[in-house]
Amino acid sequence: MNITKNFFIALKQITIGSKKYYFWLAFLSFFILLGLSAYFDQLNRGLITTAMRDQVSWGLYISNFTFLVGVAAAAVYLVIPAYVYNFKPIKEIALFGEMVAITAITMCILFIIVDMGQPSRVWHLLPVIGAMNFPSSLLAWDVIVLNGYLVLNAIIVFYVLYRLSLGKEYRMSVVWPLIIISIPLAVSIHTVTAFIYNGLPARPFWNASIVAPRFLGSAFCSGPAIMLILFQIIRKLSDVDIEDRAIFKIAELIAYAMGVNLFLLGAEVFKEFYSGSIHSVPIKYLYFGLHGKTAFVSWIWFATLLNITAFFLFLFPKTRQNFMTLNMGCVFIIMGIYIEKGMGLIVPGFIPDTLGEIYEYSPTMQEIIITIGIWAVGAMLYTLLLKFALPVYTGRLRFGIKAKGVVARDIMTAKPVTISPDETAEEIGKLLISRSISGVPVVNSDNMVIGLVSESDIIFKAIQEEPYFVEKVGELILPDEERRKKLGNTAKELMTSPAITAFEDTPLEELNKTITNRKIKRIIIVDKEGHPVGIVSRADILKTLESKIRK
Amino acid sequence: MKRLRDLSEIKLDRRTLLKGAALGLAGTALPLNKADASFWEAFFQKHFREMGKEDLKKVIERLEREYEKKYKKAIRIHNHPAMPGVLFGYGLDLSRCIGCRRCVYACFKENNPSRDPQIHLITVLRFKKGDKWVDLENSEKYYSPQQVPEPGYFYMPVQCQQCENPPCVKVCPTQATWKEPDGIVVIDYNWCIGCRYCMAACPYGARRFNWAEPSIPPDEMTTETHYLGNRPRYKGVVEKCTFCIQRTRIGKYPACLEACPVGARKFGNLLDPNSEIRYAIENKRVFRLKEDLNTYPKFYYFFAYGR
Repeated sequence: MNITKNFFIALKQITIGSKKYYFWLAFLSFFILLGLSAYFDQLNRGLITTAMRDQVSWGLYISNFTFLVGVAAAAVYLVIPAYVYNFKPIKEIALFGEMVAITAITMCILFIIVDMGQPSRVWHLLPVIGAMNFPSSLLAWDVIVLNGYLVLNAIIVFYVLYRLSLGKEYRMSVVWPLIIISIPLAVSIHTVTAFIYNGLPARPFWNASIVAPRFLGSAFCSGPAIMLILFQIIRKLSDVDIEDRAIFKIAELIAYAMGVNLFLLGAEVFKEFYSGSIHSVPIKYLYFGLHGKTAFVSWIWFATLLNITAFFLFLFPKTRQNFMTLNMGCVFIIMGIYIEKGMGLIVPGFIPDTLGEIYEYSPTMQEIIITIGIWAVGAMLYTLLLKFALPVYTGRLRFGIKAKGVVARDIMTAKPVTISPDETAEEIGKLLISRSISGVPVVNSDNMVIGLVSESDIIFKAIQEEPYFVEKVGELILPDEERRKKLGNTAKELMTSPAITAFEDTPLEELNKTITNRKIKRIIIVDKEGHPVGIVSRADILKTLESKIRK
Repeated sequence: MKRLRDLSEIKLDRRTLLKGAALGLAGTALPLNKADASFWEAFFQKHFREMGKEDLKKVIERLEREYEKKYKKAIRIHNHPAMPGVLFGYGLDLSRCIGCRRCVYACFKENNPSRDPQIHLITVLRFKKGDKWVDLENSEKYYSPQQVPEPGYFYMPVQCQQCENPPCVKVCPTQATWKEPDGIVVIDYNWCIGCRYCMAACPYGARRFNWAEPSIPPDEMTTETHYLGNRPRYKGVVEKCTFCIQRTRIGKYPACLEACPVGARKFGNLLDPNSEIRYAIENKRVFRLKEDLNTYPKFYYFFAYGR
């Protein structure tokens, strides 16, 4: 089969890389092996190697699980603007978000497995062959939605890559239904996970209906924050260009989510402390300590401070559009939510325990090593997924059909003019006019195509965009002349990226289809290394068709 | 590299293999010959309630062999079913309890829990008199005076309340725990995956987890056991009080009741209007723990006389 053969060709990409790449894999492998050995020890001696006990029967593993479900759910934060509102800069990178979801769910499953006393019996959880307690147990629901979400994202990612690898646009009729299912499913993985805790009247700290909304609120900050950092790494280390516009848009969405998250936290704090019933004892323990036991107090205040700071960093356009403060905000959010919704949510559920005992949990070295191991597995998986997907995504890897008749080489304008990412709009404008061309490829220092600037990009940028809602608010509370300035004027910021490319032997028919389907004016023709060798514009195609008709 | 050495020291017994297989790491060591057939039997052992009579008989025989090999002592596993027309209920007279913990140790002796780490299925709480009533947060579990009862305190033993509406059963993802027709909530120790969701759900702190391989010296072993009760447990599974199912289903009293020196414990059939437990419920001032949760415990606390 061609598909399997091509899959393996693509798969081989993950073995090819720079020294840095191998070093990174070795680095991760070290922590994975360390985690594995700690896990073997845990299997051998039992969960006694952890600090969990009957009083606090879930700890670091389940905390990580909870945090990561949120990260996975956050893929919708890209999917909704990308597919539902057709926000193009995000649509181009939704794939990387879906890969984050795949990675996060895989890690969730690993965290559940290492938390199990009898992991070899995991099949008992399954329907038919096991004895899944559906619909009674929320864990059974979670098994269904988590695996469903994993499979769905995997299908979307591999289908899109498959189509891209053939140099074809994916069929919306295939992707659209999957996307439509994935949106409520993303919400449901998080809601169901919240309900696992929420549905236990034995644990008043969790038994508050605000838990599920709070989960969603915090998930939509932490997940996108992780993605923002990943996107910056991806565009730095590969030839994928991710637009600043996409990053700033996501940052804006984070600001909303964090606002909601803080509001819900406030509502919870008010209810607990103002009513002051015996059920507010766990939150008292969390924020102020109980009977002199204060293990969590400094952590939770630290997390709260981080979250509030991050909220303001993301609220104001000035700070969220500055990469220094943007990244600071991302790190704050990741840390803040990791503490608040990880250990800060799970452990106080057990303190004091149902008979009033306070057992202060703090994870053992073994638990920490296993946890780091699973994070290393996640990092490894995401790296390999990227390595697999990037060549296809950028067009370096194409499995075109052997061409018959007219191909790109025959009709293209060879040796096109190119520009560097730093070229200014004025310069580009001059260039376009002087050469009487309508678009020009942007190449990086390795002469690889990273985007394309067309006349319309320049015109489009010239028109001031409507400021986003948060920016309008920002304008009211933070007057600043600088803020109204346009984002940028260089090719890097103006270009459409990734540029649509094809190979010299791509048949005319194929070019034609791409141009019509994607509503573009020209295709850049590249060689196998991604270097530009020509341009086929609509005019070139028209000319060919015309001459055909004449014959 | 201490950890690596630990790894090589793992004995390739059945359970290690099970887990190795789950990880796909023990591929080369998978037992394929006939002698290891019980490995696969154990792995594919069905849920207790899914097994037919013949299946169950075979499983019990195999488990008895395994226990004998492990504990160097013949252990019998019974499977007495629930008696028709019986719903067990427990009563505890708080006005009598002196907090001596004899029930705790009688239970310990009867039910084969792990000695190291030590597992107890009954918790006795000490409360200050004249304070908030049943103020769990200020109760003391680790009291150790020279002599009980201590003036100014009262005691309340807590064990599985055998709820009619048990939250633990509701949440178990694998149906490894369920309520029997006589009202006892039991666990299939060979089906439990050790996720501990039931422990999070239990409002009474009644469930215990085997954090390590349970160890019981052979001479301390109770050899007459019930499949759903006091047969030895495994590392990584949950256990609980079963009202001594191995005893009560053949007409005996639970061990904790027999050990009580002051007669604070009452046990019987809730469906029998002439039972002692029915008398207590109908004539004494009865309450159940955390009634607001609607778990409907079949464990009644009462006061035979005021003090």
